[in-house]
Amino acid sequence: MEMLVFAGAAVVKITVVMGVVLLTVAFLTLAERKVLSWMQDRMGPMEVGPYGTLQPIADGIKLFFKEDIIPAGANRFLFSLAPILSLVPAFIGFAVVPYGPNREIELFGVTIKPFIITDINIGILYILAFASIGAYGVILGGWASNNKYSLLGGLRAAAQVISYELNIGLAIIGVLILTGSLSMVTIAEKQAGGFWHWNLIGGMQIIAFVVYLISAVAETNRLPFDLPEADSELVAGWMTEYSGMRFAFFFMAEYANMILVSCIASVLFLGGYNAPYPGTLLPDKLSWIEGVAWFTVKVYAFLFLFFWLRATLPRLRYDQLMRFGWKVMLPLALGNIVITSIVVYFVRR
Amino acid sequence: MAVAQWVKTLTFYEILVGMKATITVFIQRIILRNRKAITLQYPHEKRALPGTYRGMIALLKYDDDTEKCVGCDLCEAACPSRVITVISSEVEGEPMKRYAKEYYMDMTRCLFCGLCVQACPVDALAMTTEYEWAKYNKRDLRLDKDQLLALGDRNFTVREKKLEFQHPNVAYFNIGHKNLPPKES
Repeated sequence: MEMLVFAGAAVVKITVVMGVVLLTVAFLTLAERKVLSWMQDRMGPMEVGPYGTLQPIADGIKLFFKEDIIPAGANRFLFSLAPILSLVPAFIGFAVVPYGPNREIELFGVTIKPFIITDINIGILYILAFASIGAYGVILGGWASNNKYSLLGGLRAAAQVISYELNIGLAIIGVLILTGSLSMVTIAEKQAGGFWHWNLIGGMQIIAFVVYLISAVAETNRLPFDLPEADSELVAGWMTEYSGMRFAFFFMAEYANMILVSCIASVLFLGGYNAPYPGTLLPDKLSWIEGVAWFTVKVYAFLFLFFWLRATLPRLRYDQLMRFGWKVMLPLALGNIVITSIVVYFVRR
Repeated sequence: MAVAQWVKTLTFYEILVGMKATITVFIQRIILRNRKAITLQYPHEKRALPGTYRGMIALLKYDDDTEKCVGCDLCEAACPSRVITVISSEVEGEPMKRYAKEYYMDMTRCLFCGLCVQACPVDALAMTTEYEWAKYNKRDLRLDKDQLLALGDRNFTVREKKLEFQHPNVAYFNIGHKNLPPKES
């Protein structure tokens, strides 16, 4: 009985999170097109529904009914596997993100945490590990297509994702030193009590934050670091030969990755669900609404930043990207670790 | 100066300038609402075309419902893309008078330069302001005489008066008529 309640609660939580994430992915595509067009004196989609609000549904139906093409020279198994390998790691990371306060409720004698799917003690490591698997989807998809543009896109993705994932890993180490834990829930809890307790300000992690943000943009292959896709050079990079639902999988993975890195950024640096003032405004019973609302606001602010960057910046050249990753971001992240370690060592004593 | 340059580099100054530009436009569009998109929502809104717009080419008629075209083939000769095919023939019983028995325009090749309109000695050709001629079959764009005359009827409701001094058996050309003596009424 206890097992059943526990499993039922987990299934409900997963369903809700997946539903919200998928819905956000769908409407992020619309939001991106709208924000970009607003910044560029255009209108964006206007035809489907009022002000084009139903455009994602039309896009989804179109992609669903499109012909599924596998090129004659493609490796059929890897060609089919790559989109799944790209999509699953993008969604799997949401399992450890704390969406609200670490509450416990009693349900039929079982303790359930309603806002956290799981609280594993290596949460952030788990996300990074699966994000690395997601890169395989891109590389394999590029190779299996048997197309020179796809292969070039895949190779670029491999080099870019590896170099920038290193920077992400090093940037968050400062936070981990401050918190002393890899669990996302613990990291968020330690930042409670006003914005001066957030790692960004209280922990002086501003360099790590900037390094993380830039590397996150690069790792999700977004402009100005969208070299694997590079429409003007490589047609569509590793997605050139994909169509229909397989293309939609890659597309969803890209947007899900955007949401995931935004979630991580807000948990690690901006206090996650914690409000920028101490305590909560609502009474204790309803304070979870405030927590979830603040978390949502932070995540959407990051997502807006993604669109904003895309509307502003042109694509980097490949050598610029590599030089920036290895010669600028890496030393900055390493220096941040050294400084944070020294400060923490002396302050703790 | 070098220090200032370093500070600019370290704070991503140039990028921030660019981001300020885009967010300014965004705020003007969404919050202040004093800026409009330059988009024209095409099928719903249409641009006002100038009178000299060079759209589909039409054949014209006189006010007594007779065709202006005299089948002289000059348009065919003037056309740089070989759009026009004229099959000229004489009017039965009137050996001096000719007309276009068949007249074809392959609009898939037309580049809307208007040379045929300039070449026409009797002003039988004109350019309309029609441009929405997308077809599922490209053969539908090879227009025959009836379609071209219908285009003319549709777009030019006021027809030119047929001049009375013209002999019914003689093809009328408008070339040298600028210096004609005024007609007695």
